[in-house]
Amino acid sequence: MGKYFLGVDIGSLTTKVVLLNEAGEIAARATGRSGYGGRDVARRLTAGLLDEKGLAGSDVAVTVATGYGRITYPADREMSEITCQARGIAHLFPGARTVIDIGGQDSKVIRLLPGGKVADFAMNDKCAAGTGRFLEVMAGALEVPLEEIGDLSLQAGNQCDISSFCTVFAESEVISHVSAGAPKADILAGVCNSVAARVASMSSRTGLEPEIVFTGGVARNSGVAASLAKQLGCGLKIPEDPVITAALGAALFARGLA
Amino acid sequence: MSQKRSYRPLDSTRDLKRTITRYYTLTRFHRYWGRPLGRPLAWVTSGAPVELLRAFKIHPVYPEQYGAICSTGKVTAELCQAAEALGYSQDLCTYATSSIGSLTRTDIAPMKGLPRPDLLVACNNICGTVLKWYEALARHFRVPLLVLDTPYLPGEITPQAREYVVEQFKDMTSSLEKITGRRFNEGELRRVMGLSDEVTTLWREIREYCRAKPSPLNGTDLFIHMAPIVVLRGTQQGVDYYRKLKREVGQRVREGKAALENEKIRLVWDNIAIWPKLFGFFKMFTERGACFVTDTYTGGWAMEIRDGDPLESLAATYTEVFLNRSPDFRARQLIQFIRDYSADGFVMHSNRSCKPYSLVQEVIRRKVMRETGVPGLVVEADMADPRAYAEEPIRNRVQAYLEALGA
Ligand code: SF4
Repeated sequence: MGKYFLGVDIGSLTTKVVLLNEAGEIAARATGRSGYGGRDVARRLTAGLLDEKGLAGSDVAVTVATGYGRITYPADREMSEITCQARGIAHLFPGARTVIDIGGQDSKVIRLLPGGKVADFAMNDKCAAGTGRFLEVMAGALEVPLEEIGDLSLQAGNQCDISSFCTVFAESEVISHVSAGAPKADILAGVCNSVAARVASMSSRTGLEPEIVFTGGVARNSGVAASLAKQLGCGLKIPEDPVITAALGAALFARGLA
Repeated sequence: MSQKRSYRPLDSTRDLKRTITRYYTLTRFHRYWGRPLGRPLAWVTSGAPVELLRAFKIHPVYPEQYGAICSTGKVTAELCQAAEALGYSQDLCTYATSSIGSLTRTDIAPMKGLPRPDLLVACNNICGTVLKWYEALARHFRVPLLVLDTPYLPGEITPQAREYVVEQFKDMTSSLEKITGRRFNEGELRRVMGLSDEVTTLWREIREYCRAKPSPLNGTDLFIHMAPIVVLRGTQQGVDYYRKLKREVGQRVREGKAALENEKIRLVWDNIAIWPKLFGFFKMFTERGACFVTDTYTGGWAMEIRDGDPLESLAATYTEVFLNRSPDFRARQLIQFIRDYSADGFVMHSNRSCKPYSLVQEVIRRKVMRETGVPGLVVEADMADPRAYAEEPIRNRVQAYLEALGA
């Protein structure tokens, strides 16, 4: 009989897996690019985790899948990543009432009830504005590695203005700033600001209540985090590993199902 | 998820098909009987005062319903592209653009397009789009266009507003006398209004049966069985059909028969249906035991037709249409539905086509959530254009919403 619980989050860009032990502690975790077949990536990552811990597949009692690839992954149950994200964050930050999650192709604001149930949520609509994908395109246009844009943006002297939310239009704005000779740091500050502004305006639909937790891959970007805190006028908590929080939520649900 | 059908069809669906087929057969062959009987054919907006037209023996045809037919027939996108090629904006209402597209693409349009009208009647109680749309139709067909301008109601209807609309009714009456060559007959108008009142009352009563737990009907039933109330108000066939439907639905309530095998969650729907994905979309709800027990859209046809002077009564009825009223009125209406139908939540379709219906939804949503404490979900799509429907993001939202409701 298995004693471990698995959460699998197959996102549009990244796949994450979290393994919990019987006590509900994280025993292992892994992430990888989803690429073409997120399901196979998830299988590979899981096999790797089990190997590392010297476990067999049968040691996993329950698996819950979430994210865009959840429907085809052979799990005991699939749940939406909004519900899983809420659960994961409530576990890490019991006082959290608002979650801002910016992932690869999604950004969302979730309002939580005490205990981690979802009270309301808002998401970006059919558009890459305000998502990790937007940052990726801009990083590409500026030839700066994605991981570095946050810190570089914080060195800006004179933040450039990126007025368009649209990824395609914003890219041409970036290029015109480049040809006007603006420093990369200043342009990147504008880019980070634009992502934060988009998400901040979305949060007016759900309302914001502290504590506010900023999670998802983009939460690692110090530039967006700083700009978001400034625009919302309050401090943000950021999980130690913001990429895996929805997978953690899924694993917690798996444990609850046992 | 289970593959088994969780949804119980109505026997009345057969009568519905017969009734609607008869109406469209008459419509398609109007050229054979219209002229000999002196009965012109009019294209009219859904909020046009059809009772007055019927009193003049006019056969009304509804391009908006035709827009829904095009959509379930999967030709909307192509028809819209034809209109877009003529220079009409992609941002227009797709009922308007698919209708305009159907004028040239008779090769793909259902029934090869609606039959040529003898006149057009537009009322702006539902939106401003219809005015420009019908002007385009009037230019195309070179036929008279009658317009009824109903002032927007920020609060209750005022005597001035009513007077203003009554005056237009009088003008319209004399125009119709000229166009049809018939004298206005108040007795006939009262008779038609009586039939209309019977139909809308039956529809109201059928809808109210859904207060029962479990509900005898789901949103899809309401959307499908609303067809006659749009095109057959003021007719005996309309009355006959809704009597039958009422009997069947009443029977379901008495026997405790539900629309869904396993009703766990009761929801209210706001806005026009997503016609191109009607069943696929609602399946996401039915498979988790969520039933749409009522909605604001098909409820728009449960209007009351008051006694008194017929033109004054029509003026009030058609000015007080919910789309012609304040966000505050609409929020109160939704709150009332949630209470009367013991709903656990509400879903708003932010319909790219229909601006008057959709633009104020966020304000309404917040107000309703605050006052009732039940959660509201917004899904973005279009009533007719499949190009505006993104399956995965919608599934994601719906699932998260239902999970929060405990499905
Ligand atoms: S804009 Fe809305 S109310 Fe007007 S015709 Fe289109 S769907 Fe109907």
